[in-house]
Amino acid sequence: MSSAEGYTRKIKRRRRALVAMIATTLLFALLSLFFGRYPKPGFFIPLDGRSNALMHSILVNVRLPRIALALLAGSMLSASGYAFQMLFSNPLVEPGFLGVSQGSAFGAALMIVLGVSSTVTVQISATIFGLFALTASYVLARHFRFGGWLLRLVLSGIAVSAIFSSALAVVKLVAEPTKDLQDITFWMMGGLWNASWGQLLSILPIVLLCEAIIITERWKLNLLSLGEKTSFSVGINPKRDRTILLIVATVGTTLVISVTGLIGWVGLITPHLARKLFGSESSFSLPASMVVGSFFLLVSDTIGRTLLPTEIPIGLVTSLFGAVIFIIILSLKHQEGKA
Amino acid sequence: MNILELKGVSFTYPSGTEALKEVSFAVEEGSAVALLGANGAGKSTLLDLLLGIHANGAITLCGRPLASYGRKEIGRLIALVPQSEQFNFSFTLLDYTLFGRSPYLSQMQSPTALDAQIAWEALSEVGLAGFEERSITSLSGGEHQLLLLARAIAQQSRILLLDEPTSALDPANRKRTLSLLQHLHKRGKTLFFSTHDVNFAAELATHVVMLKGGRLLAAGAKEEVVNTAMLTTLYGTEMRVRTIDGQTLMY
Repeated sequence: MSSAEGYTRKIKRRRRALVAMIATTLLFALLSLFFGRYPKPGFFIPLDGRSNALMHSILVNVRLPRIALALLAGSMLSASGYAFQMLFSNPLVEPGFLGVSQGSAFGAALMIVLGVSSTVTVQISATIFGLFALTASYVLARHFRFGGWLLRLVLSGIAVSAIFSSALAVVKLVAEPTKDLQDITFWMMGGLWNASWGQLLSILPIVLLCEAIIITERWKLNLLSLGEKTSFSVGINPKRDRTILLIVATVGTTLVISVTGLIGWVGLITPHLARKLFGSESSFSLPASMVVGSFFLLVSDTIGRTLLPTEIPIGLVTSLFGAVIFIIILSLKHQEGKA
Repeated sequence: MNILELKGVSFTYPSGTEALKEVSFAVEEGSAVALLGANGAGKSTLLDLLLGIHANGAITLCGRPLASYGRKEIGRLIALVPQSEQFNFSFTLLDYTLFGRSPYLSQMQSPTALDAQIAWEALSEVGLAGFEERSITSLSGGEHQLLLLARAIAQQSRILLLDEPTSALDPANRKRTLSLLQHLHKRGKTLFFSTHDVNFAAELATHVVMLKGGRLLAAGAKEEVVNTAMLTTLYGTEMRVRTIDGQTLMY
């Protein structure tokens, strides 16, 4: 068998596997529409859904936008995590590690406390502070005089996150306790219970655009994970491409978390799972990571809203699962990267 | 025909360090040029300039100013074999070799079966056929260097720039790299390599460019330029040149 034939077969195999994963996720999305606590806890298909107005409204106006948001958020957070890992050539990085999450959290909380917490102002403020935190981490890492580049990035990310955490704590101190503080606290835990068509549509166009750009540039992500000179020599402009993709990934992430609140771990672990299934080259592992992310968030949310009589915030579910999977990945024999 | 031409190339880093001053020489197509010089002589800066990393109007590639080329166009003419590469992801050998096909891919396009065939041939050429699906993180130092070369071969460029190609190799792998490069040179590829291994230069090069303190000390055919006095001046320490059994030895 020639290499060309083998390659073509590998591509076809991976394409089939990816399509199967997408189909499974969509099927589960359809099924999860019928998971909930009305009219009884658990799985229920209302065969007379059209005649029951309340059931119809729950399905169309509550569960459907929520499921769509879970799919969108999962894929965007995964795409960003994947892009960050390739751009920093570090499999242990995600936007949260570089201060983006804490920066956006501060931006969102600030708007809530200032009393201008409309969807749009929270989104804009979260995005601006997220980008600012990313820039601060990057600039600090360049100025640090300790350790290699990756270590410096992680350290500067920890420092910037800590600064925004303290600033956030101050905002919480002065927040009005009966409403604003609750809003901030719930936002920090991450949740999709507020999902509505309005919220979904407010972020949908830009998030889809960010996803489309990352998918289009997925071959470049491979090259950007190589040394600067090598990536330059194979025909790309690493400085420009890296900056564009970082901004795109950060804007996508902050827009998503401005609506969903902080959802950790998704962007860190789904790229690892996708690489285990599809190899490290981005052509298939990037889209696969996005599908895994959608599926992961959908399952976490379905568990969060049906397991207990009260809702478990999705951020707590993803953190629990994420941390366990992370421990397993780091304990595996063939793991990627050197710190 | 001169494939590369430098006319009075100077370069100063933003920090104010003057790395190159008034460097002029030409590279004939099909020649093998060794770039010699002590540490800090400006060799790496010169390689960066030839890659187009720093824009410079005084360099001409195939008769056209280098600065007028697009990134992919340069990628089809010049390929780089870096000194080493740190691998943080477990790409397969085939994945990594296929990265050399990037200058030929349009936006959105992934490599085709033909690209895979070219990559496979490049891997065969360096003796890594059969290992296509192995992870690059499992390679030994010698295999690592061969893989870097395979990726550059898959790029099908006219010029191969090599940054210290033998610095991390044991004698067997050094010999293997030498014969591979000699083979490529025979097939018409223009080679331009920086090295501290003067005997490697003597064995492979047809021409030599010598840099000292950012200035050109000498450039020309190996036989005309390389002699005891010149090498002693270049490295600032006593050097000797001998010919034994038709082979030039420098020490």
